[in-house]
Amino acid sequence: MEPLSHYFVLSITLLGIGLYGLTTKRNAIRLLFSIEVILNGANLNFVAFGRYMNPPTVSGQVIAMFSIALAAAEAAIGLAIILVMFRLLGSVDVRRASRLKG
Amino acid sequence: MVEPVFFAVATITVISAVAALEAREIVYGALALGVMFISVAGLFILLDASYLAMFQIGVYVGAVVVLILFTVILVKREELIAPEAETGGKLRSFIALTLALIVGSVATVIGTGAFKPVEVYPYSIADVGLNLLNNYGFGFIVLALVLASALIGALTLAKMERGES
Repeated sequence: MEPLSHYFVLSITLLGIGLYGLTTKRNAIRLLFSIEVILNGANLNFVAFGRYMNPPTVSGQVIAMFSIALAAAEAAIGLAIILVMFRLLGSVDVRRASRLKG
Repeated sequence: MVEPVFFAVATITVISAVAALEAREIVYGALALGVMFISVAGLFILLDASYLAMFQIGVYVGAVVVLILFTVILVKREELIAPEAETGGKLRSFIALTLALIVGSVATVIGTGAFKPVEVYPYSIADVGLNLLNNYGFGFIVLALVLASALIGALTLAKMERGES
């Protein structure tokens, strides 16, 4: 079987890609993509550790299931906010959404 | 020792994750994100979590990607074609990436050598369901409430008129 470290390195790579997207992109939809990439990396970690425990456990899968459902809720809310933002500002550039800035 | 199946699926995952963020048109980015979700589902199958893989495809590819595509269609088209201006955050993001990789490699070297997996995973779908309802039943109910309120909130936001904000 594949050593655990390979899954770990893959999920840390997904985290890095997501952080890169979060810091460099201005399009709100791309920011949502980055968050989804990070969440997928985290889910992969949960499942991999659940499988590689000795004795193995199913809790990793269950927690990943919770995380997937919450990510779906987050995507629905986020996209609704993006639609409202587009209606109000005529743009999905997060730099222009500065009305609440102090 | 890297198994070829894992290597192939992992490569597709990383490439499509980068493509989702870097594709010139955001529609192609959304499709690349769908490919990434499917390949993560493939990794779940490699980890003997086949039900979770189905769940991932159903929720992410079936719901989230479709939702994103609808949003992209509703948001005006010129906005999407115009190339995104960079924020000048390249240095910050490079630092974040490097830090994540260093921490990850160190943790991998220190921590994961102790894990000796069993060859045959002894649990089936039934055990996943039993564990979900026996040990995480309260969380399951709270999750249902969160999902319901999130959907009501999303509908309210989407229905909001221009003057109401």
